[in-house]
Amino acid sequence: MKQKRNPVLLNKERKQLIVNSKLSVSLYYITLTFLCLSVNTAYAKFDSESLIIKTNNAIQQTITGNVTDQDGNPLPGASVLAKGSSTGTNTDFDGNFSLNVPSGTTTLVISYIGFKTINVTITNKTTIQVKLEDNASSLDEVVVVGYGTAKRSDITGALTSVSSKDFEKQPLTNVSQALQGRAAGVQVNQTSGAPGGGFKIRIRGANSVTGGNEPLYVVDGQFVNISTINVNDIASMEVLKDASSTAIYGTRGANGVILITTKKGTSGKAKINVDAFTGVSSITQKLDIMNGADFAEGVNFSDGTEVFTAEEIEELRANGGEDWQERLFQTGYFNNIQLSASGGSENVDYYLSGNYYDASGTVVNQNYRRLNLRSNLNAKLSDKVKIGLNFNVGQEETTGIRADLGAGLAFDPSTPAYDENGDYNFNSLKNLATSETNPLVAVENNVRENVINRMSVNGNLNWDITKNLVFNTSAGIVNSERHNNSYESKISSTIGKAELKNKYATNIFNTNRLTYSLDINENNSIKVDAIHELILEESNNVTVKASDFFTDAVTFKDLSAANVQTVTNSQTNRKLESFLGRFNYSLLDKYLVTASFRADGTSVFQNDKWGYFPSASLAWKASEEDFIKNIDVINNLKLRVSYGKVGNQGINVYGTRSRAQLGPINNYPFNGTLSTGVAPSERVANSDLTWESTDQLNAGFDLGLLNSAITVSLDVYKKNTTDLLLDTQLPAYVGPTLLNVNTGEVENKGFEITLGARIVRNENWNVNSTLSISSNKNKVVSLNDDIQFLIAGDEIRQNTFPVNPTRVEVGLPISTFRGYVFEGVYQLGEEADAAVFGRVPGDAKYKDISGPNGVPDGIISTDDITTVGDGNADFTWGWNWDVTYQNWNLNFVLTGSQGNDIYNLQRGRLMALGAQQFHAVHGDYRNRWTTTNPSNIPSGRDGTEILSSQFIEDGSYMTMKNIALSYNIDSKILSKMGLSSLRLYSSVTNLFTITNYSGFDPEATTAVDNADADVGIDYNTYPINRSVTFGLNVTF
Amino acid sequence: MKYINKILLFAIAVFIGHSCSDLEEDTSSLLEIGKIENEGDIAANVAPIYRNLLEMYKNPHRVRITTFGSDDITTWDAGNKAPLRVFDKFDYGNGENSDNSWLPYVWDGYWKTIYYCNTLIHGLKTSTAAEELVKVADAEARTFRALSYLNLVKMYGNVPFILDGVIPTGKEQRATVLENYQQIESDLLIAEKYLPLPGTEETGRASASLAKAILADLYLTWAGWPVKDASKNQLAANKAKEVIDYNYHSLVPINELWTLSGAESTETIFSLRFSLDQSIVSQQATAFTFHQGRGFSDCFPELQFFNDFPAGPRKDATFVLDIPNRGITNGVIEDKSPATKPWQTSDRKHPMYKKYVLAEDLVFGKRPASFRSIEAYRYAEILLIYAEGQARGNGENASSIEALNEVRRRAYPSGTPDVTTATPAQIVDEKGWELAAENKRWFDLVRTERLAEMASKRDPLEAVTLSIVPTEAQYIAPIPFNTISLSKLKQNPEGFKIQ
Repeated sequence: MKQKRNPVLLNKERKQLIVNSKLSVSLYYITLTFLCLSVNTAYAKFDSESLIIKTNNAIQQTITGNVTDQDGNPLPGASVLAKGSSTGTNTDFDGNFSLNVPSGTTTLVISYIGFKTINVTITNKTTIQVKLEDNASSLDEVVVVGYGTAKRSDITGALTSVSSKDFEKQPLTNVSQALQGRAAGVQVNQTSGAPGGGFKIRIRGANSVTGGNEPLYVVDGQFVNISTINVNDIASMEVLKDASSTAIYGTRGANGVILITTKKGTSGKAKINVDAFTGVSSITQKLDIMNGADFAEGVNFSDGTEVFTAEEIEELRANGGEDWQERLFQTGYFNNIQLSASGGSENVDYYLSGNYYDASGTVVNQNYRRLNLRSNLNAKLSDKVKIGLNFNVGQEETTGIRADLGAGLAFDPSTPAYDENGDYNFNSLKNLATSETNPLVAVENNVRENVINRMSVNGNLNWDITKNLVFNTSAGIVNSERHNNSYESKISSTIGKAELKNKYATNIFNTNRLTYSLDINENNSIKVDAIHELILEESNNVTVKASDFFTDAVTFKDLSAANVQTVTNSQTNRKLESFLGRFNYSLLDKYLVTASFRADGTSVFQNDKWGYFPSASLAWKASEEDFIKNIDVINNLKLRVSYGKVGNQGINVYGTRSRAQLGPINNYPFNGTLSTGVAPSERVANSDLTWESTDQLNAGFDLGLLNSAITVSLDVYKKNTTDLLLDTQLPAYVGPTLLNVNTGEVENKGFEITLGARIVRNENWNVNSTLSISSNKNKVVSLNDDIQFLIAGDEIRQNTFPVNPTRVEVGLPISTFRGYVFEGVYQLGEEADAAVFGRVPGDAKYKDISGPNGVPDGIISTDDITTVGDGNADFTWGWNWDVTYQNWNLNFVLTGSQGNDIYNLQRGRLMALGAQQFHAVHGDYRNRWTTTNPSNIPSGRDGTEILSSQFIEDGSYMTMKNIALSYNIDSKILSKMGLSSLRLYSSVTNLFTITNYSGFDPEATTAVDNADADVGIDYNTYPINRSVTFGLNVTF
Repeated sequence: MKYINKILLFAIAVFIGHSCSDLEEDTSSLLEIGKIENEGDIAANVAPIYRNLLEMYKNPHRVRITTFGSDDITTWDAGNKAPLRVFDKFDYGNGENSDNSWLPYVWDGYWKTIYYCNTLIHGLKTSTAAEELVKVADAEARTFRALSYLNLVKMYGNVPFILDGVIPTGKEQRATVLENYQQIESDLLIAEKYLPLPGTEETGRASASLAKAILADLYLTWAGWPVKDASKNQLAANKAKEVIDYNYHSLVPINELWTLSGAESTETIFSLRFSLDQSIVSQQATAFTFHQGRGFSDCFPELQFFNDFPAGPRKDATFVLDIPNRGITNGVIEDKSPATKPWQTSDRKHPMYKKYVLAEDLVFGKRPASFRSIEAYRYAEILLIYAEGQARGNGENASSIEALNEVRRRAYPSGTPDVTTATPAQIVDEKGWELAAENKRWFDLVRTERLAEMASKRDPLEAVTLSIVPTEAQYIAPIPFNTISLSKLKQNPEGFKIQ
C-alpha cells in the first residue's frame, strides 16, 4: 500500500498511453469507416456501370454546359442527370459539366442543394447555360411540417427553418450548435463544456415547472433522442413554434417541435465527401483564487489565531502552495472525421455516412468518443409506390473520472498536490478550506466507462392510391442501452467500490396517414389528413453495487472480488395512442385556412387518460392582392394568425401512484444478518392527475422586399399553460412528502423578429446577414387555491442550502432567486446599528424586511428572505454573418442575452459559505473588511448568508459563438488532382465574451441540466471552452 | 402491381386492427403499500423503522443539533460547524435560524419514523398473521412512534397529531404539549403489555424494558418544564422500578462499557446496530475525534463540565486526554510523530470523549469509523431516573438511594463511601456525568430549568461564546423553515402551546 512512486511521472505516462491508444483507436475506426464506405461505393459504382453498359448500345451524344446561380456564380457539385436514365454527372468547380447522354434523351434534370431543381430541354443542343433559382428566395420551396410537407408560401403557422447551408461552413459536433443563434424563438444554452455534453434548448420559454420543457425532436418522422443524430447528416431543420404547427403533436408538442430531415442521395454520379477537422480547446478564463500565502493570511485572520506562522507564510509566498486550477484544467483536443457517399439512379437513391469524433475534456480527466453510421435508402417500386429505409447506429463512450470542480476549486491552496515523496497530500495539511480529499485522488485512481449504444431504424411506404388519395405508413424502432460502469479504488474509497448501471430502452412507433387532396377548381383547393399513431416504450434498469474489494486489480469487471454485492432493478413501460385529423383550405391562393385536431391517450394517467387538442390558423397572402402587387418593392407579404391547444404528459411512469420503497436503505441488520425491508411510499397517489395543457395565440407576418433581398418575419405570441403538472413538496410530518398535482397557470408572452439581408451579391462578393431577436416574459399567474408559492427546483437544495435558492411564486417568473438583501458590511461608527442585530463592524448587514408579525422585528430571520433576482433574460439574440469574397468565406455568429441575473453560488462557496467550506479561497477575500480596510466584503463566516444578494450578478453577455474562415481551392488545381472540390477552413468557438459576470462563463450557469425552476444558478458548473479548429472538406 | 395493392390493403387492415390498444398502466411490478398479511410482510415492514432510526443516530452531531447548548458538549469556532454553533451559543428563539441547514435532519427523520410506524400499525389491523405476532409488531411500532414523538416534543415543543389510519393533508395544526404527552403515554401503555420481556430477544430488538424506559423518561419530562405536573415524578420512579424488577439488567464493568460488546450487554436497554459486513457504518467515532486525529471535530466537552467531572474510573473511561495525532498516506490512516499530543496543546484545546472513540475502526475508511451499536437507553439511566423520580415523588428510600449508589460505585475510585441521601439536583448532576455526551443532559437542564445557570458557568476560554443568556425561549428549537413554509404550522414561540 505504501509503495513509493512519482505520480507526476505516472500521470504523464498515463496521458501518453491514452494519446497512443486514442490514436490507434481513431485510426482503427477511420479505417473501418473507409472500408464500409468503399464497399458501399463499389456497389454503387457497380450499379451505375451495369446501367451504363446497357445504355452503351444506343448512340450517344455529348452535352456540355455550365451551371450558375442567378447572379452568375458557378455552382460546383451540382447534379446533372439525363432524365429517364441513370446517366449523370456533377459540375466541376467552375460549374462546368460534360455528359454523354443516351440518344433519345430530351431533358436534363439539374439540381443543387438549396436551389430549385429544374428540367432543361436539350433537343438539338450540345451546350446549355443553366441558371438555378435560389430556394431561399423561393416561396415555392417545400418544407417539412408535422406529418407531411407544405409549400413555404402556404404555411399558416410560425415556423423557422435552418438549412444545412446555414451551418455547414462551421465545424459542428452537436445538433444544438447548429440551432444556436440561428432560429428566432429558440434559445440554446450550452450548460457545460464537457465533451459531448450539455445543451439546453427552449422554444419560447418554459411552460412547465416540473413537467419538462424539452422540445420534441422528430427525425424523419421518428421520435428520437437528439443525441442520436449526427449533425453532419442533417439536411434541414424546421422549428415549429406556435400551436397551429405543434398541436398536431398533441401532448408532446407543448414545448415546440424540431423536425429534422436527414440528407438523401440525388440521382447522378456517386458523390463522396470527406470532412475532417481537429483542434484544441481550453477554458475561456480562470477564476481569481488566492495563492497559498494570501490564503494563509486569510485563515489567520478568520480563525483569529496564528494557524500559519509568519515564516510559513513567507515560505508559501516564495515557493509554496498549489494552483489547483492548473491541476484541474488542461488543454483538450478533439478530432472529427465525416465520410459520406451519396447518389442514385432514377428509381433508387442512397446516402451513407460514417462519423467519428473524439475529444478530451478541459477538466481532468475525462475523454469522450462518438461513432455514427447512417444509411438512408429510397426506392420507387412503381409509379405509385415508394419505400424508404433510414438506419442509424451510434455509440457514445465517456471514459475516465472528471474532477469534482466544486470541491476541487475550493481545496486548500496552501497544500501542494503531492508531498516531497511524490505521495498525495491526501487532505489539507492543516485541515483548512474543506475536509474533502485531494481532488486528484479520485481522478487519477478511479475508473469509469460510460457507453451508450443507440440504434434506430425507420421504414416508410408511400402509396398514391388514386390521384387524390395517398396512404403513407411508417414504423420504426429505437433501441438504446447504457452501461455506466465505475470503480472507486481502495486509495480513494479505502474498501473499493464498484457500480454497474445498465439501462435498456426500446421505443416502437407506427404512424399511418391517409391524405386526400383536391383542387376543386382554380380558386379552391383542399387537403385533408387522417392519422393514427401508436408509441410503445419499455425500459429496464439494472444497477449492481459492490464494495469491500480485496484487490483493485479487476475493478468493476469482476465483482466477485467484492465482499458485498447488491442488485436493484426496475422495469417500466408506457403507451401513447393518438388519432389526428387536419384540414387545409386555400381560396384564390390568397386566403389559407388550416385546422387540426388530435386526441391522445396515455397509460401514465389513471382516470383521465385522454386529452383533446384542437388548433386553427388563418393566413392572408396580401402580396397576391392587386393593390400590393403594384408596389414594386414588396415581393411577399403574408399575415398569419393562429390559435391552438397543446399538451404535456411530462410525468414519469407510476407518477400518479404511491410506490413502496425497496432497496438496501430499508434493510436492517438484526442479529448481524440483514433483514429485507419495505417502506411506504415517498409519494402521495393522485389518480386524477391529467394533462397539462397550453393555449397559444400567435400573430405574425412575413415580408419580402426587393425580390427577398430583405426579409422580415415578426411573430407575437401569448401562451397560457393551465393544470400545471407540479411535483410539489409536502411538510415532513405528512409522511409521504411528494405529490404530483395539476394546478395553477403559467403565462409566457413574447415576440420574435428575424431580419434577413442579402447585402452584397456580385461577381466577387456575397454578403448575407441574419439577425434574430427573441423576447419572452414568463409569469406564474396562479397556483392552487390560496397558495402563493411553492418549492419546485429542489435538486440543488438537498444537503447544500437550508432554503431553496428559487421558488415558484404567483406574479413572478418560474425561476426567481430568493435570499437576504445584502446591504454591505457594518463599518466602524455603525456599532449601535449593528448591535441591534447582535453584530459588530465587519459583519454582513442584511435588510430587516419583516418578522413573524409582518413588520421588521430587529432580527434577521427567514422572514427577511425575499426575491433578489431573476434568471430569465429580457431578450436573447443571434446575429449571423456570411461573407464570401471570391474563394474565401467568413462565417460567424454572435449570440447574446440581456437582462438576466445569475446566482453565483460558486463564488459563495469559494468565500467559505455553505456547509462544506471552512475557509475562503476566492480572491475577493483579499479585500475583506478590516478596521483599516472599510470594504463591503464581510470579514467572517458566522452570520454571513450564502443565499443573499451579495451573490447576485448581472448575467447579460454577448459572445462570438463561432467564427469560421474557409478557402476553396481553385478548380484548375483540383481537376489535376481528380477532385471536384476542396475547402480548407479554420474556426474558433467562444472567441470572446463581453460580460460583467465574474464566474467562468455567463452561458454555462445551469446547475442542474434542464431544470427550469433553477435556471441561472452557477454551482459546480463545468466551464465552457474556447476551441480552435482546423479542417478540410474534400468532395471526389 | 395488383399484388402490391393487395399487400397494402392487408397492411392497412392490420394497422387498423391493432389500434385502440390497451392503455392501462402495467402495475405488476408494484407492491401494494400497507398490505401486511403474513409473517413475512410484518418482518419486512418492521425493518425500515429500525433502519430509519439508525440512519439518524449514526450521525451523532446532527441528531442532537438542537441540544448543543448543554454544558456537556460544544464545538469549534471555525470550519463548517456554523449550524451547530447556532445552538451552542443560543442564537435562536424568535424564529431566526429556522433555515439552519442541519436542522431538518432530525425533524424529518423522526417524522419519517412516525410515518413508517403509522403504516405498520394501520396495516396490522387487517393482517391475517397469528394474533401474537400482530400484537408484538403493533407494540413495536407504537414504541418507536412514541420515542419519535417524545423526542420531537422535547426538541421543538408541541407538534401535530399524525396517527395511523389518517391521511394527512399538510393543513394540520399543532396540538398542545399535554395532548402530545397523553398520546405518547397511551401508545407506550399498550406497548409495554405486549413487547417481549428483556432477554427473550437480543438487545437490538424492542423489549418491554424499552417501552417502560421511554415511559419513565416521558413522566420525568412531564413533571418538569413546561407542563410541570409533579404527580408524574412518582410514575417515572414506578416505571423505572418495573425495569429494575425484571432483574435482567445490570451495569457492566466501566472498562467494558464502551467496547463493541458494551452496547449489546445486559446494561443495554435498546441499541441500534451497524454492520461491518454490510458496510453500514456509524459516524460516532468520526464526529467525536478531532481533525488532527482524522475526525470531524464536531463534539467535545465544555471545559467547565470537564473540570467539574468527578475523578475516578468513570472519568478515565469518558475522556481522552492524549489526543491522537494522525495523518493519511495513500488512503491509509497513520500515526504522525508524536502519536499523541496533550489535550491542552491539541488543535481544539479540549479533551475528547473516549466513549465513542474507544471502539473506533481505523482501517475501514479514510476517517475513524465505528461499528459500535448506539444505545437509546442504558440501565444506568433507568437507575438514575428511579432515584430522581422517587426523590421528587413520594420521597427517597433505601432502594432509590441504592440505585444511585449502584451507579456511583462504578464511577468513583474504590473506597469512595456510598451516599445515604441525595437531593434531586445532585442526582441530576450525577446523571449528567454518567450520561455525558449521550444527548440526555440538555433535556435534564431544560426540564429542571437550569440552563441559564449552567450557561453562566461557561468557561471564557471556550471558542464558542454565548450570544445571549438562555431563557425559556431557547428551551425549544425553531421548527425547520421548510416545514413552516409548506404548512399552516406556527413557528415558535408563537405556536408553542403547553396545554
